[in-house]
Amino acid sequence: MRSLTGWSWLAWLAAAPFLVGGCATTMAVAPVAAIAYKGASKAAEASRPINDSEEYYVGRAVAARILGKYKLDQNGKLTAYVNEVGNTVARKSSRPNPFRGYHFAVLDTEEINAFACPGGIILITRGLVKTCKNEDQLAAVLAHEVGHVANKDGINSISKARWSEVFTAMGAEAARQYGGVAGNLVTLFEGSIDDVFKTIVVNGYSRQAEMAADAAALTTLNRAGYDPNAMVGLLTVMEAKGKGASGGIFKTHPPTSERLAKVKGEVGETPPSKGKKTRSERFKEKVS
Amino acid sequence: MRTAVYSMRLGRYCLVLGLALVFLVPGLGWGEVLKVTQPNQSLYPDPDFSSTPVAPVPQGAEVNVERQAGDWYKVEYQGKSGWINRQAFPAPRAGSKMSLPGLLFGAPVKQTSSDEVALAGKGFTPEVESGYRAKHPEMNFAQVDRIESFKVDPASLQTFIKEGDLKP
Repeated sequence: MRSLTGWSWLAWLAAAPFLVGGCATTMAVAPVAAIAYKGASKAAEASRPINDSEEYYVGRAVAARILGKYKLDQNGKLTAYVNEVGNTVARKSSRPNPFRGYHFAVLDTEEINAFACPGGIILITRGLVKTCKNEDQLAAVLAHEVGHVANKDGINSISKARWSEVFTAMGAEAARQYGGVAGNLVTLFEGSIDDVFKTIVVNGYSRQAEMAADAAALTTLNRAGYDPNAMVGLLTVMEAKGKGASGGIFKTHPPTSERLAKVKGEVGETPPSKGKKTRSERFKEKVS
Repeated sequence: MRTAVYSMRLGRYCLVLGLALVFLVPGLGWGEVLKVTQPNQSLYPDPDFSSTPVAPVPQGAEVNVERQAGDWYKVEYQGKSGWINRQAFPAPRAGSKMSLPGLLFGAPVKQTSSDEVALAGKGFTPEVESGYRAKHPEMNFAQVDRIESFKVDPASLQTFIKEGDLKP
């Protein structure tokens, strides 16, 4: 009898995948059951964070909104160069490969600012590019913005309450075959874009997020072979430019003097960076 | 006693049948071929984005799946073995072929034929973006598409890195 029980368990174990598979097959031909199952599944995963694909679509819409305000710089040579520097640092970041990769663009304005859209679109103004004195400083700016993407600062600015609503909509609508799901999700998407846009363009990230992006930038610069001291140089220039200024990057970022002091402390002693002269020459050629 | 003997025989038959299905039925084991549907994908030496990619895997490429670990698939592509993230592949559709990897390790929930339900299940999707664009014609998605067309060829990037005496 004991032996019989053992065999039965083994038999059930062997057949289990196919019994489960049978359920799955039944699901495919029974939409109502499938919908109910899916609804339950979605409810169960209601606590999951936004995924990379969803972040990507939010990022596209945020970029589209920013580009409703600024035009793209038409200098193809400059754009290609910014993409080369940006990708050089991005591949050494803690998040080298977001859903559709990193893309960098220059905005046609003399304002001094940069925006990291969720998912990997990074926009830098021509004014900020010109504020940089060399390629390493440009790399420092872009590494800071990549840091925001890697740390998911943009996407995390979507309010938790709104994201919970998205799940409610997903779960509720998945339990029904037809309904106004698209409209509901579009409204929630719209609200999410508002959340992110307000954070990165109007109010800025938290002081903690900015400091973390600076720290991430230093690590990335080191890994890529750029001089981390370039961050000190850049912030020194920006501090001088920011005196008396209250808009743009100076409004959305913590006081430059505070960032500068922290970065100086973190950089410490570093060996001279090789190839800096070559990089500075190509910077002058591309940016002038 | 006779019932016990019958049950034991039935159990043995089930075991043999189950094991035969596991090992012999074609199309249910490893070696499944998946098509990469997303651009910008790479083969990694480890299931980790921070490892240096072994090779790029273009959109449309077919890879042989060896095994799965979480969100990563161990695959073979053009004689190279490595890991590719599941984001490279689409979610299986309703009625798609059942696979043992999916059953054992939890493939995505099968989609129903209802676009609405599929949409709801995926959250923010291209369809949601389309709805948003229709509602906000002032948004400049054309420029976003243009930005996404800015790409740096891997070979050119390596040259750029080398010329700048940066780390490969």
